[in-house]
Amino acid sequence: MTTFDAATLLPVLAPAIGALLVLVVDIIVPRAFGVHYAIAFISLVVGVFGTTDALSAGPGDVRQTLCLPAGGTCFYTVSGLTAALQLAALVATGITLLLAWPLEPRGDRDRTAVTLSLLLAATSGAVGVAAARDLGSWLVTLELATLPVVALAALTGTRRALAGAIQLLTTSIVSFAVLTLAAACWYAATGSPSLTSAAALAATSTPQRGLLALSVVLVLAGIGFKLSLVPFHAWTPTAYAGAPLPIAAFLAGVSKVAALGALLVVITAVASLGKAALIGTAVLAVASMTLGNLVALRQDDVVRLLAWSTVAQAGWVVLPLISVSSLGARSSAAYLLTYLVATLVVFTAVAVTIRGSRGRSGRRLTAYRGLVRSHPFVGGALALGLLSLAGLPPGVLGLIGKVVALRPVVIEGWWVIAVIAAVNAVLGAAVYLRWLRVMLEPAPAPAAPAAAVAPVAPVVTAHLSHRVALSIGVLVLITLSVQPQILLGLLT
Amino acid sequence: MLALLVPGVAAVWLLGVARTVRAETPAATQTVALLASVVTLVLAVVTVWTRPVVDAPWLPTLGVRWHFAVDGISLPLVLLTAALTVVVVLHARGREPGRGIAGSTSASTFYACILLVELGALATFLTRDAVVFFIAFEIVLVPMWVLIGRFGDEHVRDTVRRDAASRFVFFTVLGSTLMLLGILVLITSAGTADLDALAAARGAGLSRGTQVMAAALLVTGLGIKIPLWPVHTWLPPAHTVAPTAGSVLLAAVLLKMGTYGIVRLVVPTVPVGFAGVSPYLAAVGAVGIIWGGLACLVERDLKRLVAYSSVAHMGFVAIGLASGTTTGLQAALFANVAHGLVSALLFLVVGGLKERWGGADLTIARRALRDASPRMGWALVVGFAAALGLPGLVGFWGEFLAVYAAWSPAPDRPLALLRTCAVVAVVGMAIAAAYALRVLRLVWAGGAADAAGAADAGGGDAASTPPRWWPTAPGDASGREWAVVLVLVVAVVLGGVLPRPLLLVTSSDAARLTTGSTTGEATP
Repeated sequence: MTTFDAATLLPVLAPAIGALLVLVVDIIVPRAFGVHYAIAFISLVVGVFGTTDALSAGPGDVRQTLCLPAGGTCFYTVSGLTAALQLAALVATGITLLLAWPLEPRGDRDRTAVTLSLLLAATSGAVGVAAARDLGSWLVTLELATLPVVALAALTGTRRALAGAIQLLTTSIVSFAVLTLAAACWYAATGSPSLTSAAALAATSTPQRGLLALSVVLVLAGIGFKLSLVPFHAWTPTAYAGAPLPIAAFLAGVSKVAALGALLVVITAVASLGKAALIGTAVLAVASMTLGNLVALRQDDVVRLLAWSTVAQAGWVVLPLISVSSLGARSSAAYLLTYLVATLVVFTAVAVTIRGSRGRSGRRLTAYRGLVRSHPFVGGALALGLLSLAGLPPGVLGLIGKVVALRPVVIEGWWVIAVIAAVNAVLGAAVYLRWLRVMLEPAPAPAAPAAAVAPVAPVVTAHLSHRVALSIGVLVLITLSVQPQILLGLLT
Repeated sequence: MLALLVPGVAAVWLLGVARTVRAETPAATQTVALLASVVTLVLAVVTVWTRPVVDAPWLPTLGVRWHFAVDGISLPLVLLTAALTVVVVLHARGREPGRGIAGSTSASTFYACILLVELGALATFLTRDAVVFFIAFEIVLVPMWVLIGRFGDEHVRDTVRRDAASRFVFFTVLGSTLMLLGILVLITSAGTADLDALAAARGAGLSRGTQVMAAALLVTGLGIKIPLWPVHTWLPPAHTVAPTAGSVLLAAVLLKMGTYGIVRLVVPTVPVGFAGVSPYLAAVGAVGIIWGGLACLVERDLKRLVAYSSVAHMGFVAIGLASGTTTGLQAALFANVAHGLVSALLFLVVGGLKERWGGADLTIARRALRDASPRMGWALVVGFAAALGLPGLVGFWGEFLAVYAAWSPAPDRPLALLRTCAVVAVVGMAIAAAYALRVLRLVWAGGAADAAGAADAGGGDAASTPPRWWPTAPGDASGREWAVVLVLVVAVVLGGVLPRPLLLVTSSDAARLTTGSTTGEATP
């Protein structure tokens, strides 16, 4: 019999049970809007509580469960790094829920249960994949993190939403096929279904060494789809623009955590093989940054801009993985977390603005004219988030992220890559400062002829949950900017 | 502890004001800003006097510490920064740019940006940790970007302002990211981020290749900031567009951060590497001197002209640094401070003139400045005299010592090249005399008006301001502006007549940074 430790599995189980409960309650008490949200939040809080044990563990100390008898391999292993990613996924889902709440159309609240259930299911997958140590659960949880999002993106049923959802679905299927192939190669090379360094080490002495390398490359490609790395990024702008904003935030946040969590499982497994730098990672990282930034420079729709900025940031996320080592994995996770905090703050501010402007105009860059002046809190939060993404003080967090991300590259001595990354830091600054400049411009005069530039509606109408989300985000961002050690300390 | 308080006070003040000031008037905002900058100055003086050290861990994972201290190298720059901020805030009263646009909040943003720049600069000069140095270096970017883009010259089109501001940011971000790469090379190969420890190690244990790599990355990155020819192209537009306060801070504080960075980060930590790149540094500096001088000879915009003269002056600093001797380093530091004072004075005067004229085009004939506003004219004469390196003024010593140092460089530097550079620099000084006199002829003596044959060509521009008549000259500098200018003039003259205190302050630490290497190599 395998072992089963419910406490260790709590971060995965809580959202999964929450997803079921929401559906069950919906049958008993249909359209109980508040109850559904309460269940969802409680399950997330329980999940967060579940991660604390592994987070407080010392370095090198891991929590394991689902182990085969007699000291066999364990299929579920939580290290400090994993727990940090799990915590990030759970909190990011919480922020997404806060965003979704007031945007819920009043007419059809019968969708609430479905939405919440899907979100929680995807979260459960995202949390699970980071800890999965065997091919089966790794693949299943990764898809569990992806497929519900496809449904969520399609749920509104508009043409744009369907277009985005179909692209997302196609991409997921291709990605799944590639990952399955990768799993097959792994199994063929190592003869073991477990994604552990022991398995990888065993393969080095066999003639199938090449297959192992192929498997890693395929994993990189498959995850590349999910992380939206160039050249696997094409779905990103369409899906973001088509989906409701909270779902776009989910795609930009939790989905990325899931994808990186999955990638790091494989990277940590092969890290023990020694210093084999991946030229593939370097090419993907550099291409993503450059293309993402260049295209983002031309966007006037803020959601599309954020989509391309995600592409660029994904490049930064995988940049440290040039060094296939635990340093690379930690640096990559650290950069992902800095990106996550900043990007969620930006999405929240955008959600407030879109809701305030009632309609599509909140998605246009011009809607942000004078935002800092007319709404200091929302504008200030957005400015801080953007500067953090750009890696400029006062967004010190983003700056630390850049330091952390570049360190492995310098240690490995990849000069060309490092200099291209430096140039991309400039391009990134250009992208975000372009937005910031619009915000700093004087607000359009009220007497401006016609409604060519629609002034933002007063944020007095900002929903309580949006304000809570924004306050949490800003608080976390400022705290981590002053004391980034909290974040870096999570990952040791 | 006080060292930490100095930037801290400014930062806390900023947070307070950014939130509460909406209802306040520009005057109240200005008072708060003035108070903050004066307090900072007092604290800076106290810091310099007591020389406290703050050392606390910040990012144990990366080995980064809050380590602040002051020594002879940073001391003059700390004082200069704190003093000039007071000057700038005092000077800006009643002339905050963008006042008409959106009322009081503009003024608070304006002053907040000025103080943030001060915070970043002070942190840069005080910190002893390489990563914190980089962060502090970046702090000044966004406020300066706002100052240029948002509060820039209202006479030019938006696109021009935007272009100038973006150029500034993009060049500088590229520079600082390259610098970050250099810092990471240093940290990862030496295993510590502490600049004192790095300086004490003097690059021991690092291969020549690594040293040259680190030095090249750092010097390139910092060279963009200084700025050295050929990456100086961001400076003239930024200066032209920036408001007077921005120009002064840019020239007197931000440019210093680049040279200070080379002194602090490169010279002591990777001596061999710096020796490797210093011939290029010297050559680039020499080209910059000539290039800047020639540009000044034909430049039509007065502010641009002062900006190009900055490029030339920074060339002297580069040559001084490249010589590798203690004298050279001291020359560089002295020229740094001197340029800070002179350019601050020039930008204040030129900014004032631009306000009065509504433009700074030299080819437009105007009334001779000695008639129209004698005080401003006089200050302009002093400023340009100092800029051309007239003995007895502060500009002289830095340039003289830099040329001297280049003529007799350290033994491991190529003698012929540096002597050539010294000769070129002397030619550059002659060109500086030529352009300074050109400006004075056109502006002070009214050469352009004579050439145009216009009796009173200034009238057209002066129409917008209250009427001014000789000899009362109501348009002349008065009150606060005059006091501020006068203080700088006194500083320029004092520095020229009594260079000894400044040289004494820097000498021991400069010797520690440079000759430490030679003794270190002699007695391994």
